[in-house]
Amino acid sequence: MKKLERRNLPWIYLFLLPTILIFALFYCWPIIQVVGTSFTRWNGFSRPAFIGIDNYTRLFNMSSFMVALRNIALWSLIAMTFHVWFGVLVALVFFKQPPGWKIARAAFMVPMVISSAAWAMIYRFIFNNEFGILNNIIRIFNPDFNVNWFFQSPASFWAITFTWLFYAVIISLVVLADLMAIPSEIHEAARIDGAGGWQTLRMIDMPLCRFSIGTSIIMSITSRISMFEAIALTSRGGPGNTTMSLSIILVRGISDRNFGVANATAVVMFVMGIAVLLIINRLFRMNESVY
Amino acid sequence: MVEKKNPIIYILMYIVLAFVIVVSLFPLLWVIMSSFKTNAEILSSPFTLPTAINFQPYLHVLNTNNFAQFGINSFVIATTATFISLFIYSMGAYVIAKYNFPGKSIFFSLFVITMLVPGHTRTQPIFSIVMNLRLYDTRQGLILVYLSGGMAMCMFVLRAAFASIPKEMAEAATIDGAGFFRTFWQMHLPLARSGLATAGILMFLGNWNEYYFAALLTISPRNRTLPYALAFFNEAFAYDYTRMFAALTLAILPGIIIYIFSQEQVRMSVVSSGVKG
Repeated sequence: MKKLERRNLPWIYLFLLPTILIFALFYCWPIIQVVGTSFTRWNGFSRPAFIGIDNYTRLFNMSSFMVALRNIALWSLIAMTFHVWFGVLVALVFFKQPPGWKIARAAFMVPMVISSAAWAMIYRFIFNNEFGILNNIIRIFNPDFNVNWFFQSPASFWAITFTWLFYAVIISLVVLADLMAIPSEIHEAARIDGAGGWQTLRMIDMPLCRFSIGTSIIMSITSRISMFEAIALTSRGGPGNTTMSLSIILVRGISDRNFGVANATAVVMFVMGIAVLLIINRLFRMNESVY
Repeated sequence: MVEKKNPIIYILMYIVLAFVIVVSLFPLLWVIMSSFKTNAEILSSPFTLPTAINFQPYLHVLNTNNFAQFGINSFVIATTATFISLFIYSMGAYVIAKYNFPGKSIFFSLFVITMLVPGHTRTQPIFSIVMNLRLYDTRQGLILVYLSGGMAMCMFVLRAAFASIPKEMAEAATIDGAGFFRTFWQMHLPLARSGLATAGILMFLGNWNEYYFAALLTISPRNRTLPYALAFFNEAFAYDYTRMFAALTLAILPGIIIYIFSQEQVRMSVVSSGVKG
């Protein structure tokens, strides 16, 4: 079946054609267009006019853009230092399979299957000053507590952070799959050599899971770079620029018919994503095989 | 798995499990609970259970505000896009899994690498394509855009599904005189159905939940999808919190129901492709 059969070639390419068309129309051409027009002034109607790196210098002179970069840096730091490791911790607990772990695993997945728009709305209500549960819990201890989370700075930054901080189920599942793939002989050998639980974790489990942990860090930082719904449906980047993000700037560029600036923002997002991929790949030696 | 039963470790593990369950489910339970309370109850006692189960707010939401229309739009768009892309990508994945031809590995790498392109960076070109095809503010436009969504995930899942079908089965079909298309349609496609279900469920959830392009590419309520409708809740329900919570419950419930019936597939595909549903 796998040998080259010439008479099948027309059929093969015919089968491939629709996928190729979608790839060309929705990936290949868009990337060329985005990079190309990011060096132009363009409103979508007239011909794009080449202006060199003006869009980029304009972006880097915009205070909202600089705040967005700072927010992404901060959010990525929080993702790397807390979010991912919370997911790893849950994976380690799942790996021990204490009774009830399957219920927790099923529950943990639920926030992932509902739309991020609905999730943003739910959080908007949770953080509501009048009837939100968070403030009402705090008021049990401090009756005078009043914070309009999404409409006050810097509270809105932290409110947005909480919409994703604990929701690391994909990380837990990916790391759990790696933990289960560790041959049991390795754990045996470690125990015979007298390694304690903590040593096994630090010297065996974590290094052998570095591929999935690295992937998780890449995934969680890239989602910080393109975060949209959690902001657009709550604080809308505000108050002021407190919770500004690149995708909010990009969408504003589109609605202002400032396509050059919008696409320059897209290029910045793309370059940041690739940079994160390469750096984490290097740091976690992900191109070397684990075993 | 636990060799030494250290009680402190056990307590810590249960704290983690309990925390996971609470952060994942409590927000949803609170929303559902609040949808059965009156406005006054929501404001005065946010923790108490509802005093009576009343579906009136749900009926009101469904009968006014075009809510049913948004639900139908979401369903039609998500289902159509899912079936068309399943068909297209299963043809692509099938020839990549089962045949040798020039350019095979290049095509596969290109299709899979699309995973690395953040969706938002393609905003303007997609906006312009839909505008130029005169599909702005139509359901067809959204369907077209959603076709491109699950490309990498489908290629992973479906190629593996087709590759696992033993070649003897296909050869038997060829001997019987079945042509290329019939071998695919009548032999391989039915045998790959678990892979198709996995890819289909994940893609349906993704399309059903999609907000960004729905907000960008539609404007009239006639073509609005459920996730985008959420953005208009504050205007639509003007501080009628009961109805707002009821509408939110209606918007999140279908996804949860699908998940309950297909937990295994959702989990498998998430692990194999690492994408959010």
